[in-house]
Amino acid sequence: MPVLEASGVRKQFGGVVALAGAEFALDAGEVHALIGSNGCGKSTLCKIIAGSAAADAGRLLLDGRPVSFPGPRQAAEAGIGVYYQELSLIPQMTVAENIYLGREPRTRAGMVDRDALRAMSLRALEQFGAVLGSGVQPESRVADLSADQAQLVEILKVLAANPRIIIFDEATAALDRHQVDAVFQRIRALKTQGRSMIFITHRMDEVLEIADRVTVMRNGATVLTRPTTETTRDILVTAMVGETAAAERRNRHHAPSETVALEADSLTSSKLNSVSFQLHCGEILGLGGLHGQGQSELLRALFGALPLRDGSIRVDGKPLDPKGPRAVMRHSIAYVAGDRARYGVMAIRPIFENLVIALLARRRRWTVARERLQSEISPFIERLKLKFSSLQASVSELSGGNQQKVVLGRWLATRPSVLLLDDPTKGIDIQTKEDLYATMDELCSQGVAILLHSSDDEELLAVADRVLVFNGGQIVAELRGEERTRFALYQAAYAAGRPVA
Amino acid sequence: MKNSPRFWTQPRPYWMAAAVFVVLCIVNAALQPTFLRFGVATSNIAAFLPMSLVAVGQTYVVLASDIDLSAGAIVSLVNVAVVSIIDGMGGSGASVALGLAVGLAAGLICGVVNGLCVAFLRFQPIVTTFATGIVFAGFALWILPQAGRQVPPAFYNAYAGTGLGVPTVIWILVAAIAFATVVARSRFYRALRATGGNMQAAYQTGVPVARVRLGAYTISGLFSALAGLALVGETASGDPLIGGALTLASVTAVVLGGTALSGCVGGVAGSILGAFILGLINNVIFFAQLPFEWQGLIQGLIILAALAGGVVMARGR
Repeated sequence: MPVLEASGVRKQFGGVVALAGAEFALDAGEVHALIGSNGCGKSTLCKIIAGSAAADAGRLLLDGRPVSFPGPRQAAEAGIGVYYQELSLIPQMTVAENIYLGREPRTRAGMVDRDALRAMSLRALEQFGAVLGSGVQPESRVADLSADQAQLVEILKVLAANPRIIIFDEATAALDRHQVDAVFQRIRALKTQGRSMIFITHRMDEVLEIADRVTVMRNGATVLTRPTTETTRDILVTAMVGETAAAERRNRHHAPSETVALEADSLTSSKLNSVSFQLHCGEILGLGGLHGQGQSELLRALFGALPLRDGSIRVDGKPLDPKGPRAVMRHSIAYVAGDRARYGVMAIRPIFENLVIALLARRRRWTVARERLQSEISPFIERLKLKFSSLQASVSELSGGNQQKVVLGRWLATRPSVLLLDDPTKGIDIQTKEDLYATMDELCSQGVAILLHSSDDEELLAVADRVLVFNGGQIVAELRGEERTRFALYQAAYAAGRPVA
Repeated sequence: MKNSPRFWTQPRPYWMAAAVFVVLCIVNAALQPTFLRFGVATSNIAAFLPMSLVAVGQTYVVLASDIDLSAGAIVSLVNVAVVSIIDGMGGSGASVALGLAVGLAAGLICGVVNGLCVAFLRFQPIVTTFATGIVFAGFALWILPQAGRQVPPAFYNAYAGTGLGVPTVIWILVAAIAFATVVARSRFYRALRATGGNMQAAYQTGVPVARVRLGAYTISGLFSALAGLALVGETASGDPLIGGALTLASVTAVVLGGTALSGCVGGVAGSILGAFILGLINNVIFFAQLPFEWQGLIQGLIILAALAGGVVMARGR
């Protein structure tokens, strides 16, 4: 008997059908991958299991008994733990406070036992040991942690509740290979204890590596469930995409010109060590390597969002002083972050406003000529294949992938000559990714220069014409042409002599 | 990723307020040579006590990223209710006991009303507590339309007197600090800060967010009630308008003390210092013998400078 079974689950948000009779079963001691493009309903299904959304119809069985959770608290009490993609950590509180929030050890007097809390946190942190990186102490504020460290802390927080069913929603998104290995080791250990896990990820290699079974969802319904050993990447992708053939990974060919669009010379900051490179018009230059080696910092520094200590930047041969995003924008440079929620969308504002905000900031106009702006942005809406009910709907109603298209469209509307992309496909579905790649190809053919950082190595190698491999804030290798292989990338990224991330 | 626009949410520990406090003490002592005498210090504490108590209650609400704009009105309501009961029943011992009980109960009920509206009915905190504040203030005016009535001398003598050789007002302050110390070590306090830090995340973690916010408003109501009682002891009579200015003063004291209006960061110690800072500024203005028409202007500028000092120091870290 499965420990958890969902059958015929339906859910509608307004007019949008999120779940149209989803079926899902989780066995004891099983890692069950749940995959599908964004908007396929997997998040909604997990929310219903976790008690943060109520199903319109269908049954949820826990140990064969029907249950329905009025809130996350009741689901947690039933032994269900959830790793939230957007994290459920309180930034201003410490690592220890976060891991044991609501479950603090207490003294006999009923007060929080700080010594025990610290000791428990130290033991919890030990589970990940070296891969946590330096400086993560029980007293560290979560706001001061890097994205990967925060993810590991969120995992520890989930595990601290001792759940027997765990939903991991994109729990490895910001982690590097070593960290993923450490997490997988924990997952395997939990499995031997008979705990069951639902594993959601956009990384196919992880699915094939860790999952016992895979369920693919499409348009709110379950389309395939089978043991991982009886499936392949192609089968899964085909199931996700539907009738359309699985997108073939290909090396794209752009024709970069000799003209240098952007030249960086010995850029140095707290996270960068003398970074120099040339970016040509019509070229996609990739920034690769292990997570957090300075790739994002470089992009943010170029956009004027992080201070540089030293070095010079030339755009179109003219010197650029990146004193702030507003100054950098005037040089026709645009920046799109993968962390949409934090740096991208204005969630409660209409899609229209989100699309025109950069254009308005650039123009320095006092008035908004709505009709004209609308006609100006409509080509970009079409090009990006943006799907929405109304331009006046708030952007938070869109799926993550569509939100990212809005952010990209906002910047394309300013007709940039240099595009800085900071992990733009993070956590978005395959179809949207393909749309974004096509857009990038088109921009390149128009002579736009693109600097792309991606945490997805396959994507980086397939999309970029050249790849600069970062290690500890330095460029340690440049891969071009036939050198653009995983092997070469990992060799450079995991070069000997560097401390383990 | 350490970005620049974070100083608003940075913890501004209360030692910054402490520094401002020390400076003001020195200035005050220079202008008023008797400042450091025990009797003067006690009367200063007595004068600052009502605002300190309101600020302590307000701190809990602000930590949950809410606000209580009815605090001053609760002070007024409790003040007139207590005086009216004690005076109306002839000032007997039983009337005093009943008065105190009714006063505290009134503060508790006001806090619960605020909490239910904000946390359970999900009304917007600023507007809701502004409106309930008008209701509470109106109720106070209905009970006692004009300042007056009296409590028996035993009441205000006890308030101005000592217990075990220590002035009553200091006992009250110590009790408030002891309360805050105990609360700071409770699970409730973590849940409160988590709620203020990221309400959605706290909810998903299973923190009973609505109950926590209700708890904070209830504490605020109770401390406003205590402030109302302290004012009965201080003035020996009732005044339906006495608390009005305390609302925004308490918010100012909380912010001066380093508690972020965005929630999660801060604490009661800073708020008490903040209240004392506001009180000392009044003293300094008084003893500097400034012309009346200049007093408000100078007072506002000093408060601004104190706030700016905290922000600048936080940025420098």
